[in-house]
Amino acid sequence: MKSEVFDVLIVGSGHAGGMATKVLTEKGIRCLMLNAGPVADVSRDTARKPAYELPYRGFRPPGRLEHVFQSNEFNANVWVDEQEVPYTFDPAHPYNWVRVRLFGGRSLFWSRQSFRLSDYEFKAKSHDGFGEDWPISHADLAPFYSRVEEIFQVAGALDGPPQMPDGNFVLDDDPWTPSMQRFIAAATPKGMPVCKQRRAMGRDGLASSVNLLLPDAEKTGKLTSIANAVVRKLTVDKNTGLLNGCVFIDRHTLQEMSVKARVVVLAAGTLESTRLLLNSGLANSSGVMGHYLMDQIYGAGLVASVPEARGGKGKGIMGGAAIVPRFRNISTKSEKFLRGYAFNVTSSTGGVGARNFAAFGAELQQKMEEYHGSAFYMGIMGEVLGRRENHVRINPGKVDAWGIPVLHVETKYTDNEYNMAKDAVDAATQVVESAGFEVLSTNAVPNPPGYSIHEVGTCRMGDDPKASVLNKWSQSHDHKNLFVVDGAAFTSAGWQNPTMTILALSMRASEHLAEEMGKLNI
Amino acid sequence: MHRRDFVRSLIAAVVASKGMVGQQAARQQLPIAAPVPWTLGLNPKTPIPQTVVAEGIAEAKLRFFTAPQMESMKRLCDLLMPAMGGKPGAVEAETPQFLDMLIGESPESRRKIYAGGLDWMEAESQKKYKLPFSKLDDGQATALLKPWLRTWMSDHPPVESHADFVNVAHDDIREATFNSEAWAESLAASTHEGTPTGVYWSAVDPETHGTGPSPKPHVQAAKGAAKMPMYPR
Repeated sequence: MKSEVFDVLIVGSGHAGGMATKVLTEKGIRCLMLNAGPVADVSRDTARKPAYELPYRGFRPPGRLEHVFQSNEFNANVWVDEQEVPYTFDPAHPYNWVRVRLFGGRSLFWSRQSFRLSDYEFKAKSHDGFGEDWPISHADLAPFYSRVEEIFQVAGALDGPPQMPDGNFVLDDDPWTPSMQRFIAAATPKGMPVCKQRRAMGRDGLASSVNLLLPDAEKTGKLTSIANAVVRKLTVDKNTGLLNGCVFIDRHTLQEMSVKARVVVLAAGTLESTRLLLNSGLANSSGVMGHYLMDQIYGAGLVASVPEARGGKGKGIMGGAAIVPRFRNISTKSEKFLRGYAFNVTSSTGGVGARNFAAFGAELQQKMEEYHGSAFYMGIMGEVLGRRENHVRINPGKVDAWGIPVLHVETKYTDNEYNMAKDAVDAATQVVESAGFEVLSTNAVPNPPGYSIHEVGTCRMGDDPKASVLNKWSQSHDHKNLFVVDGAAFTSAGWQNPTMTILALSMRASEHLAEEMGKLNI
Repeated sequence: MHRRDFVRSLIAAVVASKGMVGQQAARQQLPIAAPVPWTLGLNPKTPIPQTVVAEGIAEAKLRFFTAPQMESMKRLCDLLMPAMGGKPGAVEAETPQFLDMLIGESPESRRKIYAGGLDWMEAESQKKYKLPFSKLDDGQATALLKPWLRTWMSDHPPVESHADFVNVAHDDIREATFNSEAWAESLAASTHEGTPTGVYWSAVDPETHGTGPSPKPHVQAAKGAAKMPMYPR
């Protein structure tokens, strides 16, 4: 048993690893999946509790998870502990690395927004001259997007402009509410396309690797999975230069162990996959690995109120959500920034937060009651440019709980991102005021890099082995039996939530791998 | 043996054997002789003792705020979130005491906002009214604080001095009060509102303690160090 050589070793169990596992096992290929954390059992690990029973009344436990703004006391135990798996950065330029090591990874917790990249992203350099084009186009990925959308039951309407390609959707034909109609009427003359949101509905309320992908792989009998396996390095056959497995450490016992495989597929999440490769000293003949770290700017936007919906009159006026896909630098050219941003738009029937009123006590209470059910939100998702200087590298002076050197993250936003955020708030303010809404609060300062949990790049794909880490199949230029199927492969970030693209790339790479293995090319 | 003696011994044997059976029956009902495995007997039917949250019963020793700062904090809580509409205010919700603990455990940046803010508030009160903030009436305290109120969005509180403290403290006071036991009890008494709850995730498995430059090895009893085995507990 211990001398068993698996066909494919897959590191990571989230959307990327889950898709690779499903595709490969369904083609009869024996896979071993390693995941750094434990299996989450909701019936065992969760309980409904009132906040007052918790030591910190629901506040984020002090000193823990300082860079996970999404955390609170209820969910503090699902995120990777920053003391257990630290990372370093210049305090003047913080980075929010938001991680989950439970089986299924971050696929257990995501916003479900499901977009395709368009050729404004795949061929971005051709459009505006900055960065690099991807070695693939939307046409190459479209069939895979369609199959992913089917699996994830993506709801949406066929209303996308060219910069937001339509897909294989569960059609959303709900009519717009009056507040959204007013927003559309104000936005359209300003060149803002307003489309129905696109969300993965999944099954039974979940759209995760653990319920949509891994069960299919397990059914084949071709999948072996190990939890709590913290991979320290990938191993190489000295004679062939090909990868032949990995060394991992048992999370609890600290026992070092090794496994063998003919092919390695990395799906540990953008920065963990890159960290593993850098710690292994592999696949970096280009010197590009770790560079071109990207994500999306979040946090900028506004909160407004629809006057006619106040005083309990919101029923029948409020409700619904929209996506305004990127509209800057499509047919016009901005002087202040390249690329663009999208807006998430929500017409809410709920309460308006106290932060939106400069009042307290009885005055605040009266305001909140009056404005209840009238809130209208616009939030930015803006593309961060891929710059070589935004990078990660190994910090040899610090290790994690298993003695593995940690990442140093060196990245910051530039005027391009700050100008984009400011433009977004100005544009949002103009459109809601045109619609007759009252602006309650605005913010033009993006959250720190990493906050969006959409980190991509650092092992970008390209045709030139001297300027990229992976080829168009997400396959290493240096080692033909190494594939990286998570967000590390991205050549540009786009404004879109990357999940659908990660899934489609993983599906495409895995089918190519299976075909090559069938031909004995790998 | 005389017949009388035989009969007597026969009776005695019968009595003795009945007694032995009785002893066996009694022994079956007795617990197993100690020592037994510590967890023997615990099962899903084991009653769970009912407990209450300590802060509703016990007086907490000040951990971070000075006594004058705590007096200011109580006044601030009472001003920003008084009892209204059958709901408890921040003072009734023991929010000042809770924040003393929370801020005391928080990173330096948060402690600095609170300590600096409370001291500033006190200095302003003395300058304008020659009174401690804790003794200001509502009009005086409102006049002092209201110019610093701002509207703001999540994760982006005001950064200008004084406005940072006033707005962050206001937000913390509200959240701590909403999440208090007193608030939950007031909702439970209402006919159409339920106690706010959330899905709490336990630690999904034991923490790995080997943090730092190198993982800690498993602790073993040193040979000959002590006659009694010393196991880590």
